Amino acid sequence: MTAAPANLPRPARRPSNLLPMLGVALAALLLYWPLMLWANSGQAARSLASGADLGCTTALACATQLRNPVIPAPGQFATGFTSLSVPPLAPTSAPYNALVTGGETLLGLALASVLGLVLATLLVRSRSFERATLPWLVASQTVPIVALAPMLAVLLGQYGVQGFLPKAIIAAYIAFFPIAIGMAQGLRSPDPLQLDLMRTYRASPAQVFGLLQVPASLPYLFTSLKVAATAALVGSIVAEISTISFSGLGKMLAENSRASDTVALWVIMIYGAALGIVLVALIGGLERLVTRWRPPA
Amino acid sequence: MTQGSMQIAALPVRSGFGLPLLLLSAAGLLGLSVLLAGQAAPALAWPWLLGVVALLLVGAVGIRQSAQGESRTARILPAAATLILAVLAAEAILRAYAVPTGLIPAPSKVAQSLWAARTVLLQDAYYTFVLEALLGFVVGTLAGLGLALLAVRFRILERGVLPYAALLSSVPIVALAPVVIKAAGLGWPSKTIIVAITVLFPVVINAVRGLQSAQPMHLDLMHSYAASPAQIFREVRWPSALPFIFTALRVSSTLALINAIVAEFFGTEGHGLGFRIQIEVGRFGLDIVWAAIVVASVIGISFYLFISALERFVLRRN
Repeated sequence: MTAAPANLPRPARRPSNLLPMLGVALAALLLYWPLMLWANSGQAARSLASGADLGCTTALACATQLRNPVIPAPGQFATGFTSLSVPPLAPTSAPYNALVTGGETLLGLALASVLGLVLATLLVRSRSFERATLPWLVASQTVPIVALAPMLAVLLGQYGVQGFLPKAIIAAYIAFFPIAIGMAQGLRSPDPLQLDLMRTYRASPAQVFGLLQVPASLPYLFTSLKVAATAALVGSIVAEISTISFSGLGKMLAENSRASDTVALWVIMIYGAALGIVLVALIGGLERLVTRWRPPA
Repeated sequence: MTQGSMQIAALPVRSGFGLPLLLLSAAGLLGLSVLLAGQAAPALAWPWLLGVVALLLVGAVGIRQSAQGESRTARILPAAATLILAVLAAEAILRAYAVPTGLIPAPSKVAQSLWAARTVLLQDAYYTFVLEALLGFVVGTLAGLGLALLAVRFRILERGVLPYAALLSSVPIVALAPVVIKAAGLGWPSKTIIVAITVLFPVVINAVRGLQSAQPMHLDLMHSYAASPAQIFREVRWPSALPFIFTALRVSSTLALINAIVAEFFGTEGHGLGFRIQIEVGRFGLDIVWAAIVVASVIGISFYLFISALERFVLRRN
């Protein structure tokens, strides 16, 4: 809820953020080297004390050569990055798996939008339905829904739902509540003046719904989609971890976490982060495309 | 917009019938469960299902009736009745079809397991909530406020750091968790760090926006009073930032617990609700899983309500 408005474009008259952003990036890069040495030297000292042959003599020199570093050295990063992404579409490479996870998440978000629209329509149409279910919809936001993901994955597996679909269902399940609530808000957003105008046109209830309420709810849909996207991504990754999966970032995370391959974990983290950012950007782009009539807030 | 409910309201049956219908439906569902408890599994399940559906329809009419009007009961009763009827119906259906506990545990079984495993679950909750979620929430909030103050004081920092904060807030927690746990160890502090990081971003973004939301007119007024920067901050900037900060805190309060649980999926020393859920899913001990989810939900809702109450209290005083 807080993150979404921050993604909106800033007013044009402000100075560009590019230079300060580059400065901060540079500072982070400068900090990275000492931080990496500091984080790794303890482990390096321990390996040296245990008599391991690392091909170096001091803890500081060894900090860049550890097999499972806390923070990888630039060289290790480069090797890990290329080994995980060079044939980009091989089943073991990170870009391919990120695409799989991204696809699951997008399918889940689409499912959740359809379900969310249905539920939001019910919420807006019937007051007794709203009173009976809305408190639980709101409460469900404060509940660790994602804790249900491993169980839901097992349950869906029992009924023969396998492969791509269970992850998308879990992603949809997580994204569905914020979308439903956002859509309900959006369907209610037309002000009385607009509703009166529709009445003077003798619009049928279906026309009011299709021509006024649904378009008015689209900005709300996209705001909640952006909130839901990250949660849905978490959902599909957790689902991949807790079911038998053969592809996806979650499966890569689980494998490399078991193998304690920290360099690979760092690389996957960067891919996961990039995937999250790209998904939110995609939704933002779709929003600008679909809600053209609305000036960016 | 509310044609459906208006038609019902126009029927001769008035809201006075709501409560009896709800009681009838609940008692009927309870009765079905009690009847089913006597035998192993009924030969034919569908008559029972039909009974449950019929009783649920009675309940639905009852909910509709009791949702009329603006009284306090009309606001609270439908929601409470929905939960109770849903739980009772689930119990009856699961018993009628003799669904094994390893697949979907009946609510009564979950309640039993909750009571039987209460010491373990409370200990798990202590690790997950107090040590990881709460501590991480406090650390993340303080760090976020500090960073926001710096960003407002030094504009160059705001323009350099804030875009990253907005960008990083869309990074999924699960990508971060394995790396932090590998770096900081399997104990609870690694999860505290993860929670703190996830709380940090919304707090920074909202606090900066809040600190800058002070109206220029108020600031001008303070200048004309020759107020010191500290006074301006205390009297104008901080009060106008509080609503923004509390919005972030409310969102983060739920994120903190959720993220602590998810982070535990990636490695613990054998404590915590997330650990419990993961290990019991693997052993098909789904009654314990549900019990852990119930505990987590109660804690999550209470924490959210506490932060909301704190928000009302603080904002009223200012």
